[in-house]
Amino acid sequence: MNGYTNRILFVNINDNSVRIIPTEKYIEQFVGGRGIAVKLLYELTPKNVDPLSPENVLIFMTGPLTGTIVPSSGRIDVVSKSPQTNLLGGSNAGGFFGPELKYAGYDGIVVTGRASSRVYIDIYNDDVEIKSAENLSGKGVFDTVKVLRKSDEDAQVACIGPAGEKLVNLSGIAFSMRNYAARCGLGAVMGSKNLKAIAVRGTRGLDVAMPDQLKQMADEMRERIKATPSYKEFPEWHHKLFRVLEADAKTFFGNYDDTLWDGRFEAYENAEKFVKGAELKLQSCFGCPLRCWAYINVKNVRKASVVACQGTLTSIVNFAKIKDFNEVWEAYLLFQDMGLDVSGTSATIAFAMDLYSKGILSKTQVNTINLTFGDGNAFASLVEKIAGKESIGELLADGIKKASEKLGEAAKKLAVFAKGGQELWLMEIRPFKGVALSCAVTDSGSQNRATYGLCEFYYRSMKTQAETVARNIVGTEEAAQPTKYEYKPKLVAVYEDMHILADSLGVCSIPFMPVGLELWAKAYTASIGRETSPKALMNAAERIRTLERLFNIREGLTRRDDMIAERMFNEPLKEGPWKGEALDKGMFEKMIDEYYVLREWDSDGKPKPETLKRLGLEDICA
Amino acid sequence: MNKIIVVNYDKCIGCKTCETVCSLMHEGRINPSESRINVVKYEDIGINIPAFCQKCEDPTCAAACPMDAIIVDDYLGTYVDSSRCIGCKMCILACPIGGVSLHPANKKIIMCDLCKGDPQCVKSCPEQALEYVDVGKLSIKKRREGLEKLAKFLEMAKI
Repeated sequence: MNGYTNRILFVNINDNSVRIIPTEKYIEQFVGGRGIAVKLLYELTPKNVDPLSPENVLIFMTGPLTGTIVPSSGRIDVVSKSPQTNLLGGSNAGGFFGPELKYAGYDGIVVTGRASSRVYIDIYNDDVEIKSAENLSGKGVFDTVKVLRKSDEDAQVACIGPAGEKLVNLSGIAFSMRNYAARCGLGAVMGSKNLKAIAVRGTRGLDVAMPDQLKQMADEMRERIKATPSYKEFPEWHHKLFRVLEADAKTFFGNYDDTLWDGRFEAYENAEKFVKGAELKLQSCFGCPLRCWAYINVKNVRKASVVACQGTLTSIVNFAKIKDFNEVWEAYLLFQDMGLDVSGTSATIAFAMDLYSKGILSKTQVNTINLTFGDGNAFASLVEKIAGKESIGELLADGIKKASEKLGEAAKKLAVFAKGGQELWLMEIRPFKGVALSCAVTDSGSQNRATYGLCEFYYRSMKTQAETVARNIVGTEEAAQPTKYEYKPKLVAVYEDMHILADSLGVCSIPFMPVGLELWAKAYTASIGRETSPKALMNAAERIRTLERLFNIREGLTRRDDMIAERMFNEPLKEGPWKGEALDKGMFEKMIDEYYVLREWDSDGKPKPETLKRLGLEDICA
Repeated sequence: MNKIIVVNYDKCIGCKTCETVCSLMHEGRINPSESRINVVKYEDIGINIPAFCQKCEDPTCAAACPMDAIIVDDYLGTYVDSSRCIGCKMCILACPIGGVSLHPANKKIIMCDLCKGDPQCVKSCPEQALEYVDVGKLSIKKRREGLEKLAKFLEMAKI
């Protein structure tokens, strides 16, 4: 078969049984990656499945373009029921694991059951072995990857750190040293299965239908990516992202109550000095020209080079207001090694710092840690405590919403989170109505999995580009203005569909829109040898989107769950370029109404019978 | 021999585009294990080194081959005549830099043939980390690059 390997590996670690099922029957309706993963999740889990029980399944799924010659095709989608939100949990990662899995002969891996002791899955082409991982218990991500690469340095590793082993809801799954499926607590799901890691090495390779055409398209795509502003800017984002956020007026500090923190410029300068003084080696994921991460070797701070991603470092500074970048760096390494979601955990610690400053958390409760904003040591010790679920860490390990519910009304009032209780992704959302809508309606996890790069993001810094995109999608450039409620439902729906397609085809969402759906569709055709079109793909995206919704409805979701924290409505911004902005309840509900209409769902957010019929989902009864 | 592929190590971003292009051009399918070029990664120190046949002037692989399957061409340097190869792997053992490998499916030797003088990896590399350089100009190119640091120093010191 072309493009696909047509084999999905099922591993039941209750009894170490392994079987293969063909991918083929899912392709036409669900494409691959995220699409097939949600279909499998729906099929394989019973209603109201406990996310941390053996009955939950953990799905790693590549797309038909993963590992092919087209650029940015290193992606893998991870899907399960999330222990953090009790809804569908999805997260997508780059790197090299996805391609390697396909070269070993698998489109995906589905893990069910729970091992009686800690294990890892070792895959070398057709050889699949479940081996003891007792020697890896409690080990950090860095050591785990090193140990598993001892016998084959080219093996790709997916693993959890101590946080995942302890079932911390803020834990993610690491792919080798840096790429994370960070969100939705998927690390805890892997931990609940007693599965420490999956190591994969493949030499079987992949067939494609039209090699010459595919190469031509890949060359054209690469050129298009290299013509984007991102391509020029990415190598400097490690320190410039602060300025980018500032230029787009997306910046906030602390627990969402400080826009113009007076220490911010000192913090930015420290970051810039730090990066300039370090040895930087730009890196890309599989097949990608974008160089959006780097090995940063900092002499006298930590000798070994470690891979750093742009956005995550920013989270630590913005949430915890730490000026000393050496401390930020140390905390970052700790996050990576413990296997934690950097943005969710940083948000949670900022929340705790806020509570402590207001006396809602007492000195005894925080174990006499000096839990104040700006204190890097306190921040780092909290990261460790959360990873180990020790003392105060136990309270915070499941994120802001669950911690606030344990602490009572005063804490609840200060809690900021999105749908299902997941922490927001790094940006101020009150002025950005489209992003806010997307935080509420998303059914697959974090908002950055739905509308990353929404044109209102960069309205202030690149107005013309933002307006062009808005005009192309909804017919008017006004739609690009962050504070406008009008047109946002349509904008969000289209971006969601684009993200679904990127995640389902197995390519990165960053270059997806700039390259254009037309070319991706052509590459898909050249890869699999079956005619397809942008229209057919958009139709598949809508089907996948609706199935994500159906899964959540099956798990008890109602319209009331399409919501974000109250503070975003009743606490207008006190300062900064968006002074006075908050979300308006009435306008917000109207956006949700419109969004449902666009999706052809009823006013409760339930897909209508005729919609299900049109999408070929009528057999799945919500 | 006229030209060889030269690696600018500091430019390589480790994306492995060269591997997919190479296997696609030579095998019509995608498989880094069937590629004639492989990016060796040292993740601890952040260094990526694309490795492939260096086109030795006095090739040990050809000397070791019992079947005379490794041809030494004036223009393209060493390459394999697959019809003669018996997969004995002597060349792999003899090559000092791991520039030769075994095809995982047909078990014959594969090595870079410079795409008959038009290397596709060089064309597809997004960072120009690979260059196709005239052998006669190689040392003067490296000399200039190497001495740039000294020149900058002299300029700074105003010597």
